[in-house]
Amino acid sequence: MDYVPTTKKDVDSMIKQIGVNSIQDLLVNFKPQLSKKLNLSDPLSEMELIDYMTGLSKKNKVLKYFAGGGSYNHYSPAVINHLISRGEFLTAYTPYQPEISQGLLQAIYEFQSYICLLTGMDIANASLYDGASALAEAALLSASHTNRNRIFVNEGLNPNYLQVLKTYCNGADLELTDKIDDKTACVIAQNPDFYGNIENLQNLSDKAHKENALFVTCVTELTSLAILRPPGYCGADIVVGEAQSLGIPLSFGGPYLGFAAVKKFLLKKLPGRIVGMTTDKNEKKGFVLTFQAREQHIRRERATSNITTNQALLALMATIYLATMGRSGLINVAKISYQRAHLLQKKLKEIGFEPLNKKPFYNEFLVQTSSSSESIISELLEHNILGGLDLEENRILVCCTEQNSIQDIEEYVSLVK
Amino acid sequence: MKLIFEYDEQISGHVRDEPIDLELPQDLIRDELPLPNVNEIDIVRHYTNLSRKNYGIDLGLYPLGSCTMKYNPRVNEDIARLKGFSSLHPLIPSSCSQGSLQLIWELQESLKEITGMDNITLQPAAGSQCELLGIMIAKKYFAEKNEKRSKIIIPDSAHGTNPATAAMCKFQTVTIPSDKRGNMSLNDFKQTLDSEVAVVMLTNPNTLGLFEENILEISDLSKENGTLMYCDGANMNALLGISKPGDQGFDMVHLNLHKTFSTPHGGGGPGGGALAVNSFLGDYLPIPRIIKENESKFSLDYSVGKSVGRIHSFYGNFGIIVRALSYIKSWGSNIRRVSEHAVLNANYLVSLLKDVYHLPFDRSCAHEFVLSSKNLGEKSTMYIAKRILDYGFHPPTIYFPLIVPEALMIEPTETETKETLDEFASVLKKIALELKENPDLVKEAPHTTPIGRLDEVKAAREPNLRWLPTPDDKK
Amino acid sequence: MSDRKFTESHEWVIIENELALVGISDFAQKQLGDIVSVELPKVGEEFKKKDTIAIIDSIKASSDIYCPIDGMIEKINEELIEHPELINKSPYESGWIVKIKPRDKGQLDSLMTQEQYDKFVGED
Repeated sequence: MDYVPTTKKDVDSMIKQIGVNSIQDLLVNFKPQLSKKLNLSDPLSEMELIDYMTGLSKKNKVLKYFAGGGSYNHYSPAVINHLISRGEFLTAYTPYQPEISQGLLQAIYEFQSYICLLTGMDIANASLYDGASALAEAALLSASHTNRNRIFVNEGLNPNYLQVLKTYCNGADLELTDKIDDKTACVIAQNPDFYGNIENLQNLSDKAHKENALFVTCVTELTSLAILRPPGYCGADIVVGEAQSLGIPLSFGGPYLGFAAVKKFLLKKLPGRIVGMTTDKNEKKGFVLTFQAREQHIRRERATSNITTNQALLALMATIYLATMGRSGLINVAKISYQRAHLLQKKLKEIGFEPLNKKPFYNEFLVQTSSSSESIISELLEHNILGGLDLEENRILVCCTEQNSIQDIEEYVSLVK
Repeated sequence: MKLIFEYDEQISGHVRDEPIDLELPQDLIRDELPLPNVNEIDIVRHYTNLSRKNYGIDLGLYPLGSCTMKYNPRVNEDIARLKGFSSLHPLIPSSCSQGSLQLIWELQESLKEITGMDNITLQPAAGSQCELLGIMIAKKYFAEKNEKRSKIIIPDSAHGTNPATAAMCKFQTVTIPSDKRGNMSLNDFKQTLDSEVAVVMLTNPNTLGLFEENILEISDLSKENGTLMYCDGANMNALLGISKPGDQGFDMVHLNLHKTFSTPHGGGGPGGGALAVNSFLGDYLPIPRIIKENESKFSLDYSVGKSVGRIHSFYGNFGIIVRALSYIKSWGSNIRRVSEHAVLNANYLVSLLKDVYHLPFDRSCAHEFVLSSKNLGEKSTMYIAKRILDYGFHPPTIYFPLIVPEALMIEPTETETKETLDEFASVLKKIALELKENPDLVKEAPHTTPIGRLDEVKAAREPNLRWLPTPDDKK
Repeated sequence: MSDRKFTESHEWVIIENELALVGISDFAQKQLGDIVSVELPKVGEEFKKKDTIAIIDSIKASSDIYCPIDGMIEKINEELIEHPELINKSPYESGWIVKIKPRDKGQLDSLMTQEQYDKFVGED
């Protein structure tokens, strides 16, 4: 394929207008310059490209998933893909010119509102990269707000998130701590946690606040908030996490949708873009990027974060997802996911898988297998089922969504019996 | 237009009637969820109508400097949506994800060839996360060498992300002014370079759209000083197949897949980042890494070693990686044409405009250039940008880089025709004339957009950042 | 008119009841445009001359406010948190920023008088 439209005739008239003899004349001070072509494959036509890439896609094996771990196989209504494919959304960039970006700006305002409603928080941003980096940003925000450098992480945080958090902490000279005291910048807890457990975190939040530390709740399965008490009502100052559950495809782990929401007093510390409603000179309602003075393009080394490009199109997807499902649909998704997971856990218990969750759980649960978990997972793989995540010591982390039918659950159980 | 929250209650179509009881204690469950129920027809109308108030490349020229708003091939969208890619769970055993692993590996190899570097990661979600990763790597590298280096040199023309990144890793930024040719001042650089300098962060071509003419000397001096050279590759669209950052002496370079490799900008993301490094820094790249065991077997390596750790929930923005590889495969070894024409188009526009607008650095530009409208009066750049809207184009990047007063930063990209460039140039000339003959027309612009100029002061002083349910909405 | 002194970075300072009252000049607030947010230091913090004591944000810019004199923050203008526009409306009165307990009032001698400052910004 060739995506350059300019004919030889046009090139000739352009270089003449510029006053050079060739395109090469424009490149003379690019040094050092390559003397031969790049060693890349021959160009492909669109047909050849589709063949080649389809071939790669077929080397993957799409399965029936009973696995979560930060990536959830919820159904994505067809309408989402159609709407986000509109070129006006897809091929725009950050809405620096609000007069011709009202569509995206309003959609982001709706996204911020949805995140606030789900989390019970005051203010949400326009998105961050993914759940793990959103959590890391929450730690940086807390350190900057409290002027402290220790981060307390409660048990049950997604291990990938913990790794990313550590990476960011090393960069920013923060350290993880195992006690909550007057040097703690924030206390972080995931809910539902990595093992699916649900807890009312008010007590932990009180402990954090007693030491004037901030309390951060991390949510990686946002559909849970259709039925669970919002973290904002359980003492959270910051809620961050992953919104992939809201209609965003699994896509081998990305692009996903990090989000961040805070209580009002942290507004000016919030990283990322924020959309606000205002009016034009005729008092007509409209939207703009606001509080930009927090951001790197204005504050440079004093910015709240270096983030610029984030995940706008995915925020739009999540917004359309929430609009499409509505209150009733979202509650339905959450209840069915909850019910399927509990059904599977019960059936597995009956055939000797020991349930390890000591607390109530949402749609993920941990079981202890009596035989090798590895062989159980492989047996299921033979039947195109990803039976869960194989954690160490013969423990399997199993997950259900509304896409796991009762029939699928029965098949799963009969295969591992 | 009303908000999605302001529709009257409708029947939501995506509900299955399945009465389910939750056996959860009261203190764990919520008692209200004030989300609207809207049926699909109104959802489609709502967001379609919103899209009509938005401008994208599909509607016309989008010469936003430093952002590389080129055509986004639609076939790449189709390919990213192939079920084998879009429906793949990230934690699937690698025996089931061989296609994805091979795809990531192939893009890595292509980008190593394009940048002239030895090792690479595609884990960062965007360019700014690459910068953060690069500076984390530098920090760890010097810590292991037991060298105390606290400073990062950044030219005054740099993107704001560079100093913001340095600060996130607790480095002190030292700003070097630009010289009369738009290069980082070599004299000031020499005077500043000392044993405390960890990294020199340069954008090449720089944000003025100019190739750093002293790049080899800067690299040599840095190397002698034990300082690492970091290339912000935001402007790589000028260099494909022409010059490799590796040959320019850089130790690290990042690429923005959504700029150079045409993945859609999506209204501000998702983007994708690649950080390529020289072999002596390879061990510091994040985990997991893709390993090619033989022609048909790929695996993920989680061994930490010297790595700075993980920086993404999974393996990066895979869907963007798919599109970028598709793009590179389409061009293949002809990819140099992209940069040749990006440079041609930029220089052509300069030649049409430099008599009307001030050109602060009069030499051949790369893929973009910066004009100043200071001769047209104070705030003229803002007026011009708004007036451009009336003519149906997206304005250039304005007031950046900060070192040029009344700056207009224009990047036409290679996918625009001469015809479009001619139209855009004539519009810019016409506006310059209007500013002299009928200044109010320009100062009051835009006149044709769905909404007039918005009150940004009010937005900041009386923040309204979300919809709030009234008691009636709480169901 | 008064004993108000000015820095080249556009802060003003005046001694009142042994405290140095600090703000930014009318010229500076006009340059910045509509101010939308102010970040203030904490009472009790120590600063040296030319340290950053506050940050003032307008829509498109973020500016450091530099300390005109060594000393300790005695009082901050908390009104500015909710009403940053006071700096625009009244830069010399209700738009004051901090009160500093100065270590050496002599440091003010080198600053510009109102007359000198007016000339300075006129030439700027």
